Amino acid sequence: MLKLLRVEWMKVKNYRTFWVLLAITIAIIPACSYGAYNLMNNSFPKVNGKSILGSPFAFPDVWQTVSWNSTLTFIIPAILIITLTTNEFTYKTHRQNIIDGWSRGQFIGVKLIEVGLISLLSTVVVMLTALGVGYFGNKVPDGLSVWEGFRFIPFYFVQMLSFTMIAFLLGLLIKRAGLAISIFLMYMLVEDIVVLVFRGHYKMNGMEYLPEEVTDRLIPQSYVKALVTTQEAARWESHLPIYLAVAVIYLIIYCLIAGRSFLKNDL
Amino acid sequence: MSSILSIQSITKFYGKIRALNQVTFEVPAGSVFGVLGPNGSGKTTLLGIVMDVLKASGGSYSWFGNPPSEQQRQQIGTLLETPNFYHYLSGEQNLRIAAGIKGKGESDIPRVLEIVKLTERKDSRFSTYSLGMKQRLAIASCLLGNPQVLVFDEPTNGLDPVGIAETREVIRQLAREGKTIVLASHLLDEVEKVCTHVAILQRGQLLTAGDVNEVLVNEDFIEVGAEPAQMANLQGLLAGLSGVKQVRPFEHHVQVFFGNGVMDTGELNRFCFEKGVVLNYLQLKKRSLESKFMELTEEKAKARIATAN
Repeated sequence: MLKLLRVEWMKVKNYRTFWVLLAITIAIIPACSYGAYNLMNNSFPKVNGKSILGSPFAFPDVWQTVSWNSTLTFIIPAILIITLTTNEFTYKTHRQNIIDGWSRGQFIGVKLIEVGLISLLSTVVVMLTALGVGYFGNKVPDGLSVWEGFRFIPFYFVQMLSFTMIAFLLGLLIKRAGLAISIFLMYMLVEDIVVLVFRGHYKMNGMEYLPEEVTDRLIPQSYVKALVTTQEAARWESHLPIYLAVAVIYLIIYCLIAGRSFLKNDL
Repeated sequence: MSSILSIQSITKFYGKIRALNQVTFEVPAGSVFGVLGPNGSGKTTLLGIVMDVLKASGGSYSWFGNPPSEQQRQQIGTLLETPNFYHYLSGEQNLRIAAGIKGKGESDIPRVLEIVKLTERKDSRFSTYSLGMKQRLAIASCLLGNPQVLVFDEPTNGLDPVGIAETREVIRQLAREGKTIVLASHLLDEVEKVCTHVAILQRGQLLTAGDVNEVLVNEDFIEVGAEPAQMANLQGLLAGLSGVKQVRPFEHHVQVFFGNGVMDTGELNRFCFEKGVVLNYLQLKKRSLESKFMELTEEKAKARIATAN
């Protein structure tokens, strides 16, 4: 497997677009949370010196806040994944890699690992950002473990992996970068609208299990935590394992579709 | 002679179109095997199947007597259709990727770059290469690790006359080293000059396959010419000659084909002279692959029309 990754590394290490998109992926996560932190501190009214939104950037809520903020940046790693995937089809190097001696399984396997590694890198940056913001932005309350609430970091990984896997799948099936990115964005928008209309307006059940929505639910917005009732919090807590299980099932489905498409079809 | 590649009843459909129909042949070890056919005859499809980038609708194939695997492909240098490289990387960086996939060391890269005369441009991005340079880089990639088997699909595509001659010389040199080469081409001349064996494809159908000398057996013919005033007389004379299968008239000469073997040129000269026709041109010729190919494809077309009627 290391040999395969070494070849993938050779493909990207001299590719400027890869480094630009990777730099943006890394930089935008702390930038986004720093912007939100400043906005909250400077633009929202305070009561007795405290923000009416509570302390979303203090431990333990900082894990949830930074994770949620970072999900807004999903488009950058998605574009990176689509670019790397469609490049192979544009240059027909997916064929050449097989001709030169990779199996189809090795090709698709190393691409899936690449998707996982980029999602993991993004998650590590989120974790470091949350630690940084939590330590330097606020005083850690006495007796509180900084790791309380850390579970949102693995939730973020699942959510980011879902986004990047959808991006990878679209790149693999559509084979053209521009079209794949457009469809990816359109899908995200359409699903949001569908959920809004059918769940919000018609009160239809099951909308929360759509691919994007179910991962969204892993990390609820933390800025309005003060407004969330105990009942709603308990409901989210009880549904969490189902959301996670459904998200993982979707990931497995994405892998199966990608594998089947590449293993069975003409290249 | 053992078989390097064995193709058994390979069939390929693209929707309702049958691109290959029950193609069967064997590539002997150490041969230069030409897969010949016009554009669209199924050459690239066939090679795509044996390199696992296309899936056959039916049939099977084996490399080195074993079921196909990626380890076998690593031992074969293949140029299929067009040179496929990462446009944003240099020629050398692309070869490093190919060497990594093939499991070969990078130490062979300078040698193969030198063979295809790309050493000076090894650091230039692939996107800046001319068509001929791209083709030469693809040939260099095939030569990485000095494989014993090479598959070339239209290797002289995009090359200038010098490049074509150099590539043919590289192929001849590889053949002299005892390597097995599968060479797909629509250029009859190319196959005829380089190959020891040939398979002829037309519309996905294998017309014939075998040793070039066997495929062309008994295909020698004689070209004769006479004064313009005697040409009609000569043609009639030859048509009536025992053993003659066909007489093809041209402006200044006629080609005489025999049903079995070929007549001695001296005998033919004497026969014409005795009949009052003085030849001013007489030459024994080996029938070109082109004429054989044309005859085979014409026969096939006639058979199809007859079946349709």
